[in-house]
Amino acid sequence: MARYRVETACLLAPAVLFLLLLFVVPLARLFSLAFTDEGGVFATFGVLAESEVYRRVMLNTFVVALAVTLITVLLAWPVAYALSRLKGFWFALALYGVLFPFWISVLVRTFSWMILLERNGPINRLLQGLGVTDQPLALLFNDTGVMIGMVHVLLPYAIMPLYAAMARVDRRLLLASDGLGAGLLDTFARVYFPLVLPGLLGGATFVFLLSLGFFITPALLGGANAITLSMLIASFVTDRLAWSLAAAGSLVLLLVVLALLAVAARLLPLDKGMFAR
Amino acid sequence: MTRQPLWLSILAHGGAGLVLAFLVLPIVAVLPASVNKASFIFLPPRAYSTRWYGEFFLDSEWRSALSTSLQVALIATVVALVLGTVSAIGLRRIRGRWHSLLTGLFLAPMIVPVIVTAVAVYRSALDVGLAGTVLGLGLSHAMLALPFVVINVGIALRTVDDNWLRAAAGLGAGPWTVFRTVTLPNITPGLVGGAVFSFITSFDEVVVAVFMAGYANKTLPVKIWESIRLEYTPVVAVAAVLMILLAMLLFGGAQALGRGQSILKKSEQPQA
Repeated sequence: MARYRVETACLLAPAVLFLLLLFVVPLARLFSLAFTDEGGVFATFGVLAESEVYRRVMLNTFVVALAVTLITVLLAWPVAYALSRLKGFWFALALYGVLFPFWISVLVRTFSWMILLERNGPINRLLQGLGVTDQPLALLFNDTGVMIGMVHVLLPYAIMPLYAAMARVDRRLLLASDGLGAGLLDTFARVYFPLVLPGLLGGATFVFLLSLGFFITPALLGGANAITLSMLIASFVTDRLAWSLAAAGSLVLLLVVLALLAVAARLLPLDKGMFAR
Repeated sequence: MTRQPLWLSILAHGGAGLVLAFLVLPIVAVLPASVNKASFIFLPPRAYSTRWYGEFFLDSEWRSALSTSLQVALIATVVALVLGTVSAIGLRRIRGRWHSLLTGLFLAPMIVPVIVTAVAVYRSALDVGLAGTVLGLGLSHAMLALPFVVINVGIALRTVDDNWLRAAAGLGAGPWTVFRTVTLPNITPGLVGGAVFSFITSFDEVVVAVFMAGYANKTLPVKIWESIRLEYTPVVAVAAVLMILLAMLLFGGAQALGRGQSILKKSEQPQA
């Protein structure tokens, strides 16, 4: 038995050591910078909280993440529903449609959107050609562009858990509800929706958490007009060498993510909604 | 089977088709952009040419970025695959509190926002002189890829029955022989999946790389990232097309391999 334990410890030790050295210790060292500022232990957090600019950045991050989550869930619904009903070739085609973007780098996808959303780009010319607008619309370097790009990147994360929940719904329950005289709307609201709700909320939580920390897409599609918390953290390091502020911002971002994750884990059967297959 | 009115079916499938088009079509936009003859990006191109592909492979900066990316991804894949496989096997041998604690640690790089990880790793890499090196990039990407290997191999390990391991050990095989002859053949699909995920995770990674790359060792995504903000010529689209091709090649190959293997297993079954 003792030998078994030693063997197990030897199996686990290399990766644990690796993660301690490359992940845990660097994070701890970074966060310690937030509390060792000359101004005092919590001075950096005071700077973040009192500045009008930083407060606006944090608000913007939340608003964009919330909007992206709502749009993503709305768009994910028909795809997940179709996936749960389709069979054979059409199912495979739709599934690959969802998985293909997953395979492609976020940077490449964001770059594609830059080409498409440009002032002189194909989307603006199409809209003008159709007479939807006279002037080219500002689709790039603002929150609109950021949201389009983020929804595109995050959609598969919402579709998969929602599809998993829809595929698990026992069709006989719907038949029973139908047979007992419930209308379509009643069956949806009282049988179908409650059954897929865990998948919906699991996916939404996932999307919201990922949105909060998004960096590449807002940095390229939003630019200086739509700064998010992650862009602020990066600029503290690269433009201002303000390590203690970067550390404080990072700690705030991580704590918010962890707190939301803890709440979600308590409220939702996440293991059923997100990872079940 | 279930009563589903026609209008609902049309609405759902039509909506799904539109959303799927929104998911897939924009990615394809870089393809026409990359064969644009003009020196600026314009869609659809007025004249076609492959000159920017030539420019990409003649430019030493793009070439060295591609080669740096491949080296970094190779280091990351090997390190993550070895560490991840060994710890997935270890994780299966423990239960209870330690199991959840260590699983949490192994998956943590996936949960912490990557900008936070990037800044933290960059700061420590500066202090130990690993910033701006291929090794530093490879190791930090291995850390980001580790969760994917632990998950993939962990799932594959479920197919390995503990009794087989005991039987092999009872027949006198040492731990290494047991691993090589019983565990390894059964977890190969998980290993392939983990390796592909690791390679792509590293090859596509931008955020950590932007901080860590420094001047001399830019990876392909870092070079793209910088070029988007500076020159914005179709050569960036060429680089993007190459990244798409590599990802499709690796994932497609892994899928074909997985399918080939399951066919192999099925054809083997009657004999057993």
